[in-house]
Amino acid sequence: MNVGALSRPPSSRRALLISLSALLIALVVGMEQLAPLFRALFPDQDPAMYQRESFLDLTLAHLALVLVSSLISVSVGVAAGLFVTRPAGREFEPLVSTLAAIGQTFPPAAVLAIVVPVAGFGFVPTLVALVLYGLLPVVQNTVAGLGTVPSQMLEAARGNGMNAWQILWHIELPLAMRVIIAGVRVSVIINIGTATIGSTVGAKTLGTPIIAGLVGNNLPYVIQGAVLVGLLAIVTDLAFERLEQRFSFGDSRAAS
Amino acid sequence: MIELQGLTKRYGETRVVDDISLTVEQGEFCVLIGPSGCGKSTTLKMINRLIAHSEGKILLGGEDITTLPPERLRRRIGYAIQSIGLFPHWRVADNIATVPRLLKWPASRIAERVDELLALFQLDDEGLHDKYPHQLSGGQAQRVGVARALAADPDVLLMDEPFGAVDPLTRDTLQAELARVHRQTGKTIVFVTHDMDEALRLASRVALLNAGQLVQYDRPAELLVAPANDFVRDFIGRADLGLKLLSRRRVEAYCRPAQRTRNNAIASAPITWQVDADDRPMALLGGRLGESDIARTVVNTEWTATPEMSMKEALSRMVWFRVTALPVLDGEGRLLGEVTMSGVMGHRS
Repeated sequence: MNVGALSRPPSSRRALLISLSALLIALVVGMEQLAPLFRALFPDQDPAMYQRESFLDLTLAHLALVLVSSLISVSVGVAAGLFVTRPAGREFEPLVSTLAAIGQTFPPAAVLAIVVPVAGFGFVPTLVALVLYGLLPVVQNTVAGLGTVPSQMLEAARGNGMNAWQILWHIELPLAMRVIIAGVRVSVIINIGTATIGSTVGAKTLGTPIIAGLVGNNLPYVIQGAVLVGLLAIVTDLAFERLEQRFSFGDSRAAS
Repeated sequence: MIELQGLTKRYGETRVVDDISLTVEQGEFCVLIGPSGCGKSTTLKMINRLIAHSEGKILLGGEDITTLPPERLRRRIGYAIQSIGLFPHWRVADNIATVPRLLKWPASRIAERVDELLALFQLDDEGLHDKYPHQLSGGQAQRVGVARALAADPDVLLMDEPFGAVDPLTRDTLQAELARVHRQTGKTIVFVTHDMDEALRLASRVALLNAGQLVQYDRPAELLVAPANDFVRDFIGRADLGLKLLSRRRVEAYCRPAQRTRNNAIASAPITWQVDADDRPMALLGGRLGESDIARTVVNTEWTATPEMSMKEALSRMVWFRVTALPVLDGEGRLLGEVTMSGVMGHRS
């Protein structure tokens, strides 16, 4: 990550988030207004503006796919991370870490190839691929985040009469939250990008114009899809950055 | 009152705590001390069941601790460790309120209790109520830790090397404050440390452990005067046993009447204090090392003593300022009496 950007005052990060969000919304709603620009830049392309579906529909479908897959990744990932850090599940930690790692080393395209014959084309196989792909950062950061809570602090909590549930809810989760959210952030950003390949198996995403452009040798299509996906990822990343900062409590770990 | 009866902790075949029996009376300040790995911390943690004991019994107020669910037991026993134990995402007031909240006290009572404890530890005038632990100095954080342990007004307080991570100056203040709080509240305290000076300063009874076994359980003075064996003598530190003994004793026990004069005429006694109209000492006549008996030394505020000062400090001042006597002053700076180099040997108490 860009160190210079991080050291800027938070107010300018906020301004950046707001202006990029505004730009994203404007492009999603008003991409068609840029048709003259694309025609001027690519005079040999006809049509120079993707018009089979509206960009608003594509963006919403893309977001729905990312949202549902991330919700599943996060619930499963956090639950798995919690399970392997409890006394009862500690011995499963290597197993779960390995499974999550396999999920991410497996290329999403290969997952699609396997799932399509089983689940058919469209939304479902893409969802499966995204869930598997997004699991690892969540599991890893949940385990790591819970691991950063000093053992003496847990002992103090126990010594003051908290039960295991109270320690988890009042101490461990709040203190691990920043690291867990960082994992969710990575997972969601990966999925925003990866969701585009769902269009190869018929899922409606912002990847649809990109694939259409690649197949039909139409560069404007590719640009229109890629700019929206890129902006979406940047805006989401900035939003997560602000969310993470809410859980810093001024301890040394937050200063990095 | 806490009774340990044949308390043993085994990890496999190793007995880290081996058949310890001792009784800590109500209001006692018991310090568990010994070299690293002697089992002192394990013993402490068995009292609130952070560690389960293997054999023997622990009675708290006559009641076997295993009859209570561990969480309920721990809410009845204060527990303080190094300041890292404070919860960084909770304000000072929330940290102190930990146990009262678990006990579901009404909010008004909790707020009252927090204010009371902030006042007890002299933290109330610094606006610390709403601060977070990382905004506190080491000494303040440590006080908050002790205040948290006292929040639900437990009869018993367990402290595991609470002052281990603070600088010597702050530790000195914290020790004095803990001694004051102990006097004011009359709590039974079990305190783990590896610092003999800390133990001698705070304890009303010292339990010296070695290799899991209780070597000697005695009043600090007895430990110094009648060590049970060579291990005790070595652990206390043979070389400065005498000084340690003096550090336990106060100037008032050694103070004797001083010879006064209003002018600088040499009196009959070898040491005479020249005082002003208000009985404040102005100069010492005689009694300066390496000078003749008639030398006049102007009294400097740095080489005076108070009745509460330890004899070790008084002796140290005599050596440093090369005088054979210190004037003992009351709060107004008036001469109460004197302590002398030769008087250090004659202890009257």
